[in-house]
Amino acid sequence: MAKDSSSGWSSALAGGADTVVARSSPAGRAGLAVIRVSGGSTRALAAAVCPGLNMDRGWRAALVELRDADGTPIDQAVALPYPAPRSYTGEDMLELMVHGSPWIVVATIDALIAAGGRQAEPGEFTRRAVANGKLDLVQAEAVNELAAAETAAQARMAQAQVSGSLSREFSGLKHALTDLLAGLEASLDFSHHEIPYDRRGAIAERERCLEQIRALLATATAGRRVREGVRVAIVGPANSGKSTLFNILVGRERAIVSPHAGTTRDLVEAELEIAGVRVVLQDTAGLETSSDPVELEGIRRARGAAAEADAVIVMWPVDRDDEPDVGEREGQPMLRIRSKVDLGPGDDGPSGWMALSCRTGRGMDDLGRALEGVVSAEVVDLGGHVAIAERHRYALEGARAELEEGDFEVPELAAEAVRTALESVRELFGEVATEEILDRVFSSFCIGK
Amino acid sequence: MASNDYDLVVVGAGHAGCEAAAAAARMGAAVAVVTLDRRTIAQMPCNPAIGGIGKGHLVAELDALGGLQGWAADRAGIQFKMLNASRGPAVWGPRAQCDKARYTEIMARVLGGLRGLEIIESEVVGLLSDDVGVTGVRLRDGRLLRARTTILTTGTFLGGVLHSGEESRPGGRHGERPSIGLGAELEGLGLELRRFKTGTPPRLRMSSLDVEQLEVQGGDEPPRAFSWRTRKVTNRIECWVTRTPERIQGIIKDNLHRSPLFSGVIEGVGPRYCPSIEDKIVRFPQHREHTVFLEPEGLTTESVYVNGLSTSLPADVQEAVVHAVPGLSRAEFLRYGYAVEYDMVAPGQVGKDLVCRDVPGLALAGQVLGTSGYEEAAALGFLAGVNAVRAGRGEDAFVLGREEAYMGVLVDDLVLREHVEPYRMFTSRAEHRLLLGIDSARERLMARGVRLGLVREEVFHVEHGRWKDRRKVRSALEETRLNPDRATKETLREMAGIELKTPSSWAGLLRRQDVDVDRIAEAIPGLGELSEEDRRIVVGLLRYDGYLARHRREIDRVRRLRYVEISRSFDPSVVPGLSREVVEQLQRHRPATLAEAERLPGMTPAAIAILAGRLARGTEGA
Repeated sequence: MAKDSSSGWSSALAGGADTVVARSSPAGRAGLAVIRVSGGSTRALAAAVCPGLNMDRGWRAALVELRDADGTPIDQAVALPYPAPRSYTGEDMLELMVHGSPWIVVATIDALIAAGGRQAEPGEFTRRAVANGKLDLVQAEAVNELAAAETAAQARMAQAQVSGSLSREFSGLKHALTDLLAGLEASLDFSHHEIPYDRRGAIAERERCLEQIRALLATATAGRRVREGVRVAIVGPANSGKSTLFNILVGRERAIVSPHAGTTRDLVEAELEIAGVRVVLQDTAGLETSSDPVELEGIRRARGAAAEADAVIVMWPVDRDDEPDVGEREGQPMLRIRSKVDLGPGDDGPSGWMALSCRTGRGMDDLGRALEGVVSAEVVDLGGHVAIAERHRYALEGARAELEEGDFEVPELAAEAVRTALESVRELFGEVATEEILDRVFSSFCIGK
Repeated sequence: MASNDYDLVVVGAGHAGCEAAAAAARMGAAVAVVTLDRRTIAQMPCNPAIGGIGKGHLVAELDALGGLQGWAADRAGIQFKMLNASRGPAVWGPRAQCDKARYTEIMARVLGGLRGLEIIESEVVGLLSDDVGVTGVRLRDGRLLRARTTILTTGTFLGGVLHSGEESRPGGRHGERPSIGLGAELEGLGLELRRFKTGTPPRLRMSSLDVEQLEVQGGDEPPRAFSWRTRKVTNRIECWVTRTPERIQGIIKDNLHRSPLFSGVIEGVGPRYCPSIEDKIVRFPQHREHTVFLEPEGLTTESVYVNGLSTSLPADVQEAVVHAVPGLSRAEFLRYGYAVEYDMVAPGQVGKDLVCRDVPGLALAGQVLGTSGYEEAAALGFLAGVNAVRAGRGEDAFVLGREEAYMGVLVDDLVLREHVEPYRMFTSRAEHRLLLGIDSARERLMARGVRLGLVREEVFHVEHGRWKDRRKVRSALEETRLNPDRATKETLREMAGIELKTPSSWAGLLRRQDVDVDRIAEAIPGLGELSEEDRRIVVGLLRYDGYLARHRREIDRVRRLRYVEISRSFDPSVVPGLSREVVEQLQRHRPATLAEAERLPGMTPAAIAILAGRLARGTEGA
């Protein structure tokens, strides 16, 4: 066998014929730790390390005594055998729940390696699941996201993707394109069998596929918001209470990351979870007319943050007469706050503005509810709880461009466009073209003289 | 080897056998062709036509390389039609309906006149082999023919069984005996055989048709020839069209239990693109009528081919169905339709030279290799013949790429993909379809025909002039500017109904609009001097421009992959990361390059990436 090369990409793709071993629970001391084994020699490894375990009694826990290569006992553990192909990877698998001592974990893994196993590479179990057809590429992508989810929304979205709801969207699109192509191909290869080119039908079908693609592309923003967080910027004039509100919100909500150091001339950010959604809250410099270049830069950044934010909290203190100008973007949700109301005349001020006093806490609950409403609304367009990721967006935009630009006056060029669009969609699953199109032709058209 | 009687023995003289033998003999080889019956040389046992969509592409390519089929079809042709003529040049499919008897006669005469080619009327009953591979054949009379290469082109004769209604009997074709022992010998050599099925419709007597009730279908005027060798062809007959009435559904459904297809007697897999009428009724009950084409099988025969009514129902049911069709109520049967089941050699077992990978000296072509159709057979036969000669001279195999020719697609698909039915060519099988139109067949392949010694160089120069003229006109179309001044606008409106709004080249204008080319031909420099066909090619290709550029880029990518070779000793089972399915495909098909591996079923981009990494490491000496 060739020795393993250091070239990162090929070793990252590798997995395969041998049997791999890894700790699946986090490193460090814990009550229990989970060790996974997968591959063709799982049974041999089990026989060596947990003698007496019956691998054929699958999907049932058994109490076993773990032994190292010399036969010295390591631990008592719970073993769960998964005979192929009904396992996560599709291969023979074994899960061992051992006591969580780091020493026991290391000794058990060493024993499994001594029996012929190999340390798994990161993500190798999932890659094997894909290679053996247990998960498609779209599902596999979400496995990591699921493990890394920090908020409820992230977990829900990743779970939906792992369970296949995004895969179903994509395969629906794939089938629609395959049908369209089958019709076009039939009109080219079998025109003499009285299958005409139905230009209008093809254009209508293209439009339906495009609508589906556009709908999926529209979820890209929602997907980005769930993954990276909904950005909420607090803007307003100096001394309007922005930083005070920022600190209160950070203290009140669950902070994922504490505020970064910096003056308010820069942006100060904190990551929170609001209504189960990751939120990046931004405190900005006061919007003042100034000649100080440092302040001008701060104001420029504040306006930039407001422009890019998914939602904006505008602060207008009661001791100022002029309404702050934040350059609202169309459709951008705005929470308008009349701040420092404890200093004011006591009425609620202009309509459409929420009264708030950070000092007395008046209006804080209203703001909290409004904020939850805005944040949930920003991710609510996740129809069916799916949202596409960057790789998906790239492939779908390719498919969209092909379909939009295709010359549907000429059937062979329409076929060309649909074929290329279909290839883009198939790439999502890591597939290459097969006989599927002809299969579709023969099952849908009565062909043959 | 000194004891060889011939360079090449060809078993069978159908479309594959004829092209194999003729190409090899013309390249200077000593060839023996063994046929059961001289009168069946190049017989057309099913439909009376050569060409069509995809198939016509194969004929055009074969002709450009120096093959015979297109030339013979021109001479035997009685009605010529360009299918898909209303579409762009990439999918034009020329088709020639032929006088079957004349086609056979012409081919037999050509073969008989070739120096170095001997026709032997006998039956091959066994193969000669040594510890390396096949060394020749044994004939029924005990004669041994030794040759460096043996090409089997036995069509549907291996273990052939004919089915008609409840009757089944051994047979290769109507009225001919099958070959029984040969299949067992092939299995003895370790080859895997599979069972395929095909069928043919009834033949009716012309004078019994009620032509008043039939719709007439003529050929194209002017008719177009296949071959560069042909000056002129003529349409000589008319065909007819009719439709099945709804009530045949009942007739067929009531008798399905008597069809060997549905009663379970036939086990072989038939082609889905050529279903029997009983198949069509069962699978597409929503279709109330099915079109039937009535095609005379020649000028001197009464036989009419009933295109669209392929069947293996019993004779009485065939009569009831046919007599229910308008225009056929008094039709007299010359022959009933039947199905034939036969053995074929799973084509994954041959290399791209069509020689069995594990049985040196034995090559296969045509239906025995799992194809269907005269054109696919001829293309494979030609390649097998050429390769037998080249192997004898110690030269490389003659292999065409998928991006070069439908013939390349054909071999590639057969050798590298799994097949569930007889393989027929379709334009949708060619991913570079826009580049592979019949308009470019000579441009793509004629130079290779010259190098093979099968096309005369003078012919190449004549054709080359034609391509150059087309290119000149094409440049003129790009360069001539049209300004929307009043005079130009008026001329264009009057001449072609075009509204010119902004300045444009002729090419730009033609790319966007459907224009009757002949109406504007005189206004465009050079275009008027081109033939009508060349005009349509030049204008048709303009519209493909953007896509053609992309295809050329994709071809470059595949060519790079082709340079990454996979050695025969490479063992995919030790490569980490490959799924079991991928490993099995690699072991089964043993691709020679990464580009071939990419074409295997179930191959994923990830698997190709892993292979590429592994092969790159291998060459570093690890």
